[in-house]
Amino acid sequence: MNLRIETIGEVSCVVPVGRLDFDAAPGFQEALERLLGGAGKPPAAVIIDGTGLEYVSSAGLRAFLLGARAAQRSGVAFALCALQPAVREVFELSGFSRIIPVHADRASALAQTQPGRA
Amino acid sequence: MTARRAAVPADAAQLSVLMRFLQESATAVGLDAAQVSTFELALEEIFMNIVMHGSRPGIAPRVEVSLHRDAESVTMTVEDDGPEFDPLSLPPPDVMASLADQRVGGLGVFLVRKMMDSVRYARIAGRNQLRMSKHLGG
Repeated sequence: MNLRIETIGEVSCVVPVGRLDFDAAPGFQEALERLLGGAGKPPAAVIIDGTGLEYVSSAGLRAFLLGARAAQRSGVAFALCALQPAVREVFELSGFSRIIPVHADRASALAQTQPGRA
Repeated sequence: MTARRAAVPADAAQLSVLMRFLQESATAVGLDAAQVSTFELALEEIFMNIVMHGSRPGIAPRVEVSLHRDAESVTMTVEDDGPEFDPLSLPPPDVMASLADQRVGGLGVFLVRKMMDSVRYARIAGRNQLRMSKHLGG
């Protein structure tokens, strides 16, 4: 899996591309933790753009969960958007879409994510 | 009535071997992309469970996976010769509490049960056997 981080004002958009399986999950989790708790000033909000995310297993879900918790601790808003149907199904069946906000696309995620409120 | 089979030691590095087997077999029996994705997820969850919980120091169980299609459904069977363990005995995870809590246990098996139409466990001749079926549309 590849990871791209785009900065839009005070918001960091994280764009994972590929498969978030047990193999890729630790690296993804580390990247989120660096973004949220690294040396620099944390962003006001983190939005994960799922346009290129093809597959998520429970290991990937755990990485999202730990990212959401790290965001909560740092007072950073955290949301997902543009999930592909298979990935969306995993989020819904697991109940994760009830604890992490999921938006249809990046524009609505940016519009509806209140910086600093998880 | 096609059945395909692969066997590997319960080692995380072998998951890619099983995934290749699954992708080739699934295409051969005519599953669509969404169905393949469901079986991939089930295979990763169940195999990694065996890797993490079924191994003792120095001894990795042998894991055998088969895929079978009949007119109405596709069934994946995962068998291992590790210690007796019924993954269906795991309680469902408390997802709502998990944002504050330390960890989410049993999430993988919970997902498999939700995505498959039937999941059955049996202990047969010293082996754990998990059979997961998905009905084909129509």
